Amino acid sequence: MEVKIELLLGAKVRDVNGEKVGRIEEIRVDRSDNALLVEAYLIGASAVVDRLSAWTLVRPIKGLLKSRRIYSLYDVPWQDMDLTDPRHPVLRTAKSDLHHAR
Amino acid sequence: MKKILQITLGIVTSVGGFLEIGSVTTAMQAGASFGYQLLWAVLLGTLCLIFLVEMSGRLAAVSKHTIVEATRERFGFPFFFIVLIGMALVSFLVLVAELGGIGLALQILTGVGFPWWAIPVSFVVWVMMWKGTFSLIENGASMLGLVTISFVVAAFKLHPDWGTAAHGLLPTFPDDKKANYWFIAVSILGASISPYLMYFYSSGAIEDEWDETYIPINRIIAGIGMSFGGFLSMAVLIVAALVFHPKGIDVEKFEQASLLMTTALPKWGFTLFALSMLFACFGAALEISLSIAYFFAQGFGWNWSEDLTPSKDARFCLTYTVIIMAAAIPLLFGVDPIKVTIISMALTAVALPLAIAPFLFLMNDPIYLGEHRNGWLSNTVVTIVILLSFVVAIIAIPLEIIGS
Amino acid sequence: MHLVRDVLDKELLDREEEPMGRVDGLIMQLGERSQPRITHIVVGGATLWERVHPAFGRLSRRMSRWWGPKRDKEVRIPWSRVKTAGRDIKLDVEGKDTGAIDWELWIAHHIIEHIPGSGHEEADDGS
Repeated sequence: MEVKIELLLGAKVRDVNGEKVGRIEEIRVDRSDNALLVEAYLIGASAVVDRLSAWTLVRPIKGLLKSRRIYSLYDVPWQDMDLTDPRHPVLRTAKSDLHHAR
Repeated sequence: MKKILQITLGIVTSVGGFLEIGSVTTAMQAGASFGYQLLWAVLLGTLCLIFLVEMSGRLAAVSKHTIVEATRERFGFPFFFIVLIGMALVSFLVLVAELGGIGLALQILTGVGFPWWAIPVSFVVWVMMWKGTFSLIENGASMLGLVTISFVVAAFKLHPDWGTAAHGLLPTFPDDKKANYWFIAVSILGASISPYLMYFYSSGAIEDEWDETYIPINRIIAGIGMSFGGFLSMAVLIVAALVFHPKGIDVEKFEQASLLMTTALPKWGFTLFALSMLFACFGAALEISLSIAYFFAQGFGWNWSEDLTPSKDARFCLTYTVIIMAAAIPLLFGVDPIKVTIISMALTAVALPLAIAPFLFLMNDPIYLGEHRNGWLSNTVVTIVILLSFVVAIIAIPLEIIGS
Repeated sequence: MHLVRDVLDKELLDREEEPMGRVDGLIMQLGERSQPRITHIVVGGATLWERVHPAFGRLSRRMSRWWGPKRDKEVRIPWSRVKTAGRDIKLDVEGKDTGAIDWELWIAHHIIEHIPGSGHEEADDGS
């Protein structure tokens, strides 16, 4: 099945129990030989900060904000993502089993 | 040697970008209505611009990307598209004002009304871009623009009380006409901190093939070049303060404005004013047309360079051709360039956050800038400029309604 | 490597290091159990506009049927043609063979070259 990456980005992800997890903000890939293989989907508010390489700005502000939400970044391996409906991606695990990338 | 000659990039960006119909009109209104009181606004605008221009040059020299390219790559197409629309619309209005400014200058020199000049003027601007190279435009426009030094000469000849004038560099507030005062202050900021200036400058740095070794000279160009323009604007304000303010003349029409320098320079003042407006607006028209075309070309990934013949960067050339033709149309119908100027300065102020906010992120990006990322001083200045631009954006339109 | 940070929206250069547009989209192939792979870069047109809003994508498709180079399908470049991916993405292709610069060539031939001084005449002399 073909999926357009640029339309997958920003899609809201739910876990296997229907709980909201976040949005797909970035996709980590591995370049091997002549192929580009998807390793993981990065989900959550702070993937955007990552994408914008803005950590040098955010870290000092984080303390002031005292917000955990801006720091939530989930690294979801490709095996754990069900993209049968690309507009509504679903995890194959529960949110609590997800591993924080940071 | 080439690096020293680069200073002309700064001067033309400044003369064409800083000193144009917007900054002259706002400086004149400021001087006529409030004497020296608004000099601080010109100073503030100049300082902000120096920092922003230095950053746009540094970004281009180190990352080999223009601001536009970096914006698309970092923020994605949808966000980029919003910035494109905002910047293109505002810049287009300013272009109409500049072409109108050239027309008005020719009107007072020849007596032939400005609508008749709309087509010939646009044609000449277009030919310069079609056949010219980037260096020709850079150097040619800056040489011609030097006639604006006559504003400084006029200011000195009127022997202002420099001490009193210097007080104007610190903000003081009038007792009455407060809304008008703040409206002019906001317009001065919108006229000084023109986004198209930054886009033109960063594209110019790429056209001139800057690299990391240009970082020191970039600072000098930004500092001296933009100060030069600020200095010229202040001269206009001071002359207006001495000539119009005591008589309570409110400068509404271009014909009144043309008398700006006749007190100081009775024989040549009128002609020098007309020529200054002519060349300053001409330089600005070239810069703005190029900036808009660069925005489209760089954002969409087309070929772009003033040094290429048009058949090699067809979409880029088609873009500026269409823009210049379209900008002539309102003038053909007699739309008053001064009114367009006033509206476009306020709208520029409103659109400023859109142009500057992405900068904060771009200038801290280690991938683009490596060790040349912003230090705490530059970051502080950009943050202040962004906050200032939000405040200005919010109050500009209400002030326009109440105060103008 | 990250797709959004390092690939999407980056400039594409062909074999001669001439610009040929930007990475406007990417195609991922999903298998039942196999690891997903990125197979194609998509350039231009409706793909780009769809990212702003689907209605823009539809409008773009409709307009491209009326004028300009007539293309039925979007321009896709296989990922295998990518040589390097750094500041920009260098491809091992000729720009004009991919269809990515069809619009540039169409506008050059149909509009720009009819205006005097476009430089086309000099090029015809074999320079």
